[in-house]
Amino acid sequence: MWWSILRSRYTITFGTIAIVSILWNIYVVLNDDGKFSGRVVDMQGRPVAGATVKLGKKSLVSINFHGEEITDAEGRFAFSGHAFYHVHIEAKKQGLGISKSDHHLYFRGQNMALSDPLRLRPEPKG
Amino acid sequence: MHRYPHWPLHLALSAVCAAMLVPFYWVLKTSLTGENIFTFPPSILPEDPHLFFFVDVWYTIPFASYLANSLIVSIIVVAANVFLNAMAGYALTRDFVGKKAVIMLFLSCMMIPFQATIIPAYLITKELGLLNSYMGMALPLCSTIVCIFVFKASFDAIPKSLIDAARIDGVPDWMIIYRIMVPLSQSAIATNVILAFIWSWNNFLWPLVIIRDEAMQTLPLGLSRFLSVYENTTGALYAFCIMVLVPGLVIFLLSQKQFIAGLTSGAAKG
Repeated sequence: MWWSILRSRYTITFGTIAIVSILWNIYVVLNDDGKFSGRVVDMQGRPVAGATVKLGKKSLVSINFHGEEITDAEGRFAFSGHAFYHVHIEAKKQGLGISKSDHHLYFRGQNMALSDPLRLRPEPKG
Repeated sequence: MHRYPHWPLHLALSAVCAAMLVPFYWVLKTSLTGENIFTFPPSILPEDPHLFFFVDVWYTIPFASYLANSLIVSIIVVAANVFLNAMAGYALTRDFVGKKAVIMLFLSCMMIPFQATIIPAYLITKELGLLNSYMGMALPLCSTIVCIFVFKASFDAIPKSLIDAARIDGVPDWMIIYRIMVPLSQSAIATNVILAFIWSWNNFLWPLVIIRDEAMQTLPLGLSRFLSVYENTTGALYAFCIMVLVPGLVIFLLSQKQFIAGLTSGAAKG
């Protein structure tokens, strides 16, 4: 009897959904520290030290910034503790330019390391 | 005997199926790409699909709360339908004075749309103190006439000798229903479950009338609220539609065999 209940398509479907949900939630709990890291480079791909990087959440009308970091000698920066699922990141250095990008996350505060560096470009005038 | 090839019929049926599935495919595709519905020429295959619109929906509105509310109401409705309709269906299989009048009354009540009775339904729910509650949302759907007749048709198909034998052995009526009739009417149960679930799941007007608290809102109300608050979110809107559709679709696909058997049971009865 137990075997037929276990083999029922209802048990298999809802059991699979339950298992996937549990595994997903475990993954979320283990990866939701809100860490966001990356590198800032110039147009030639050289690391930029001392660039200001801001991380925030972009809404339709405004950007709520979570914090600000300064890149190290290798152009690296790292944030932690944000709780966004749609991240807006801005890197800027006087004389070199600015880089802006938006990143979608699969859950709030998902840890993410940018695979492509933020490339500073001269700000458009006007 | 000359046999005609089947392929023209299959081709025609496949074309009809494809035509009927196109809107669903389009909703799914748009939920994955966010492509504007006015884009011309439209892309047939999804370009650069992703799941981020579903994430937006999950966090932009209290989706989990809406989902839980819809599930609670649907579970109450499904349980009440199976329990109450089985009893009502059994009663209609027995002979009693005024049976035809009761059946006529049921059939005539089916012709009155719910919108026409919504004010008395509201007043009764208010008198019962069930406004803004799960029970209040479930109440009008707790027993439906169509589902009573589904049970009646299924019970009619069970041999009378079986019931007579049980009665001779001294089995009470409630035990005849739940030990003999209901286990032999799995297709009627599946039909009740599917219809009750889908009606409850898609119910918009009644929850709109009796729910005041935002925390008690169900998914159709959430969809309406989402539409009114966020106008320029094609992808998220379609993702929301998919998230609302999927549970009903899963229930239907799981029980479709029994559902079709339930709807046609008694159809060939003389």
